[in-house]
Amino acid sequence: MIFLSRLKAFASSRVLATLGMVWLGVIIFAAVTAPLLAPFDPTEIDPIARLSEPGSLYWFGTDHFGRDTFSRALFGARMAILIGSGSVIVALLLGGLVGMLSAYFTTLGHVFMRIVDVLMAFPALLLALVLMTLLERSVINTILVIGIVYASTTARILFGMTLKLKNEVFVDAARCSGAGHISLLFRHILPNLISPLLVQASFIFAFAQLQSAALDFLGLGLPPEMASWGNMLSEERIYVTRAPWLLIFPGALIILSVFSMNLVGDAMRDSIDPRFKNDIAGV
Amino acid sequence: MALLEVKNLSVAIRQKQGLITVVDNLSFHVDENETLGIVGESGCGKSLTALSIMGLLQGSQVRITEGTVCFDGVDLLILGPAERRAIMGDQMAMIFQEPMTSLNPVYRVGDQIVEVLLQHLKLSRAAAKQRTLELLDLVRIPNPILQINSYPHQMSGGQRQRIMIAMALACSPRILIADEPTTALDVTVQKEVLDLMGELQRHTGTAIVLISHDLGVIAQTCDRVAVMYRGKIVETAATKALFADIRHPYTKGLLNSLPLVDGDVEWLDTIPGQVPGIETVLPGCAFQPRCAFADERCSYEKPNDIRVAGGHWARCHYAGQST
Repeated sequence: MIFLSRLKAFASSRVLATLGMVWLGVIIFAAVTAPLLAPFDPTEIDPIARLSEPGSLYWFGTDHFGRDTFSRALFGARMAILIGSGSVIVALLLGGLVGMLSAYFTTLGHVFMRIVDVLMAFPALLLALVLMTLLERSVINTILVIGIVYASTTARILFGMTLKLKNEVFVDAARCSGAGHISLLFRHILPNLISPLLVQASFIFAFAQLQSAALDFLGLGLPPEMASWGNMLSEERIYVTRAPWLLIFPGALIILSVFSMNLVGDAMRDSIDPRFKNDIAGV
Repeated sequence: MALLEVKNLSVAIRQKQGLITVVDNLSFHVDENETLGIVGESGCGKSLTALSIMGLLQGSQVRITEGTVCFDGVDLLILGPAERRAIMGDQMAMIFQEPMTSLNPVYRVGDQIVEVLLQHLKLSRAAAKQRTLELLDLVRIPNPILQINSYPHQMSGGQRQRIMIAMALACSPRILIADEPTTALDVTVQKEVLDLMGELQRHTGTAIVLISHDLGVIAQTCDRVAVMYRGKIVETAATKALFADIRHPYTKGLLNSLPLVDGDVEWLDTIPGQVPGIETVLPGCAFQPRCAFADERCSYEKPNDIRVAGGHWARCHYAGQST
């Protein structure tokens, strides 16, 4: 009950963030139940129905192979969630570990953080492109590459925060009571980093959507036969004048999902950081 | 044999111009069941001494350059990290100056004490929790069953310092280092915390090293006092003997700068001048530039420890003469 009333208070004070959460809920629901909801097999080719306009049979129309765009969009949601959460896990694990260890062991930090600096000197997309050209197109590789690209920013953020935390008195106090390095890092410092990590996760999730869509569009992301929003854009772009719905629907899905995730991330950051609380509470 | 014996301890800060010694050839000891007070003004090296004893200097610009810190006959400075961790928290514990930041903000206070207990004693989680409740009761936290689940930010400074004391005493350490434990607290709370520490000491027999800049606090609680100035102990004696017969001009200056509650004082004495910067090298006595009694000899000859009476030493050329 308390939870419900709190939820209500949150929803009324943060309308946009709530809408974003609802939209993400819809996407996750679609991803989970895609095989049940989809009226057609996303890979089923029907040459007679190619480039049909949206209608009662094909809600979002069909592409140049006659595949149902709605079904493909549903399965695309699966890929979006999978790539998003996969990249978040890779980026947080790798970046978090590098950032924390670098800050805690200063000599290690000199080496690791210079590598991070080099990685951050590349534009994110360029770095992802370079890495993808070395690897074959697959879901795992896309996740790894996007994860590595965003691990560098995560490492930077955690480096700074760990540097500050490790000089806190409570860390000294823990050391005084006999805690070793591992215990200090993971039991005393890490729990203090959970909130920035959550915020970072939400933004990486959003960026991963854009990044994977861009990679797909450039033909370096997921394998072409897979139904993803980026692949749909990439394959159908030459039909933009004859069948604009082929680009409008997946494009809108990408925009809405990224936008929602950013709104949720903003709300999370604001509710965690008390400095923002009163300033923009109405947004 | 003394419980803790610090011998010829020198600590230096690494700077661009080289190593600068901030704790200079320091020697003192603490016996079992005894409270030693270390007093001195800011920057005299008293906190660095505490940190050196607890091994908290790694990773900073500060190095121990010389000396031994023997606990129960074992030199802590040559001990391996694992052996050292076994002693820390179990036989040696420390209380810090800032009760506001010395507890981890994301854990309940009870869990923080439980963790220390589990690390050093072979206890079940339930037994550790039981012991935690006893400890909270011991340090007079009201309603321990409720407060065990509080987060640090829900408690006041005095309560947090009690929690820190409970945590430090969790494993019944043989020595407790308290670095300005009451400086950040109100005077009334300060007295309660000091009384509590004294009472717990009578219970457990823990030796205490109390570091403070407050002569009043030291006089009230300590058996023996060591007065530090610029990294050296300038005068040491049993508390009563010291206040009865102060021999070092610096100690005298410290005492004279205390406001008296019952005295109707118009003018409060201060020690003139400032502590010379750590990079200033003085050929003679470190206190000479500020000393009212200094003569020419003080400016070129370093004084040695002069024995005033049994256990009363002062580092002044003229300590032999009663001032």
